Order: sequence, then structure tokens, then C-alpha cells
Amino acid sequence: MKSSSLAIGLGVLGIVFIVIAVLYALGVLQFFASTDTGPHYKHALLFGVLAIASFVAANFARPKTA
Amino acid sequence: MSFWQALFMGLLQGATELFPVSSLGHAVLVPSLLHWSFKQSDPSFVPFLVLLHLGTAGALLVLYRQQWVEIVAGFFRAAIRGRISTPTERLSMLLLVGTLPAGVLGVFLEGPIKRLFASPYEAAAFLIVNGVLMLGFELLRRRDERRAAVDKAPRLEQEERFADAAQITFVAAALVGACQALAFLPGISRSGVTIGGGLLAGLRHQEAARFSFLLATPVILGAGLIEVPQLFSGGVPVVEYVLSAVLAGLAAYLSARFLLRYFRSGRLDPYGWYCIAAGAVSLALLHFAL
Repeated sequence: MKSSSLAIGLGVLGIVFIVIAVLYALGVLQFFASTDTGPHYKHALLFGVLAIASFVAANFARPKTA
Repeated sequence: MSFWQALFMGLLQGATELFPVSSLGHAVLVPSLLHWSFKQSDPSFVPFLVLLHLGTAGALLVLYRQQWVEIVAGFFRAAIRGRISTPTERLSMLLLVGTLPAGVLGVFLEGPIKRLFASPYEAAAFLIVNGVLMLGFELLRRRDERRAAVDKAPRLEQEERFADAAQITFVAAALVGACQALAFLPGISRSGVTIGGGLLAGLRHQEAARFSFLLATPVILGAGLIEVPQLFSGGVPVVEYVLSAVLAGLAAYLSARFLLRYFRSGRLDPYGWYCIAAGAVSLALLHFAL
């Protein structure tokens, strides 16, 4: 399934995941964390990996010129 | 925890992590049955577990070092090109897709689930469930063999009818990866459910085991590395723990070598029966406080 809009959507999702990863790493976000204070590196790593996966998926979805 | 207890736990964790018999279940049950008093829920126990997991992940990395080099290179090639051209590139993407659900479920559910089901009774009960699952996976595989009309053929011929790891669908890879979340229940084996999931997806036993081990490596390694700073908190007997981790790695390496050889023609049934027997005996021992 190749489409520019899907690729752009996945790219934006990747950026959102990066922002969330940074917020978890800085300890700003505390949602679904085991403690209410401090950085959550496990969550940050997860969202970092999700961001990479989104960018890879965006590159796969991008229509390619022959 | 004494020096010998630490070494024993390292050996136990390394040996049971890759066998489809639940390392967490054994880690909860065995100390309890031996009446060892250390509390595994204690924060000081975390660095110990971290090192044991790093030992196991290290063993898997050594075992598959050549494949990991190819998988990582294949991942970058396919990711940059935006197209999959080789089986290795496809395998690298399957591993990414399989790791994501495990990572999401692990980060958000592992803690609460482990806290809910931490008693030896529950570990013993889930060990029985794990055994039933293993037998169920093989029952379904035998049905597939009958459908493919290879049920009367020799085992090696039967296995040849099934697929390589790189041939499964992306949905199947995601489902196999998500199966890993079941292993947060002490007694349910991560390798058992992922090998079983691989069998349901149509993989050969040996390929299902290989996919399970490859899938486990980034999750175990990532979870371990992120906890490394805890090792440098005060009062951690680093030398003792590192020795246990080396033992865990050695046991994991030998286990993986054995299992990959065993699954050329072997099935999950013996492990299923072992889990049912071990769970039932443990329940009886715990109930009668023996």
C-alpha cells in the first residue's frame, strides 16, 4: 500500500513518538509509569523504537519513482 | 542471598530461560520449595536479575553473532531503500514488527502483572497451564501435518513441509511477538509461547525456536541495559552477581545449542508433560508445606 498521505501520516507519528520519548526521558511525562517522579528510560526507549518503526514504515509507504 | 545461592539462581535462570519451561516460574518456585528466605520482590534483587538477563542475552548474541550482523545490515539496507529484497532483510523487519508489541505490552503491563501473580502457588498453577499450552500447540501441529498428508512420514520429512522464519507473514510475527506478554505470568514460558506461536504460523520447529531466540534478544538486552545504572547503587556485590551472570550465560548458550539440535525433529510434548508434572508436584509440596 503506497501513498504520500500515509507516508506523511507515519512520519508525523514518528515525530510525535520522539517528543513523547524525550518527555519520558526528562521525567516530564509520568503516565503509566511505576513511580510518579523522575525519568522513565524504559518508556523513552520504547517510544524511541516506535519512532524508528514509524519512520521505516513511512519510507516503505512512500511512492517511489522508478 | 549467599554466594552459592546466587550461583545456583544464575544457573537456573540461564538454563530455564530458553527451555519452554518458564524461567520466572522456576525462579519463584525453586527458592520457595528450598525454603530460601531471600525476597525476590526486594529492590536489591533487581540488579541481580538485570545481570542474569544480560548474561542470557549475551549468550544469544554470541550464538547468533553472524546472523545479527547480517540482520542489522539488512535492516538498515531495507529501511533506507524502503523495500525488502532479501530473506535476511525480511527477517529483520519481521523481528522489528515482532518486538514492538512485546515492548509496548512489557513496558505498560509487566510490572502490574508480576505484582498481581507473584506467589509460588500461582507460579505452580501457571506452570501447569504452560504445559497444557505446549501440548495444545503440538496437537494443532499434528492436525496441520494430517492436513498436509505428512503425518505418516518420518519426522525430518514432516518438518521439511513447513516454513523458514523469514517466510511468515508480518501479522503472524506481530502475534508471535505479542505472545511474549503471556510470559509476564510466572510459570508461562516466553520461549514456549513464541515457539508455539511460530508453529501455529507454520514454521518448522527448529525455525520457530530460532525466531523465538532472535525475538527474545533485543527485548532481554534492552530491558537489561536500561537497568544497568542500578548495579552501581551501594551494597551490590558486583563480583558475586557477575559470576552468576557468566554462569547464566553459559547455561543459556548450552541450552540454546541443545534446543536447536533437539528441534530438528523433536517436539514440545516432553516439556509440556514436564511442566504439568512439576507444577502439580510443586502445588502438592507447597500445600502440605513439605
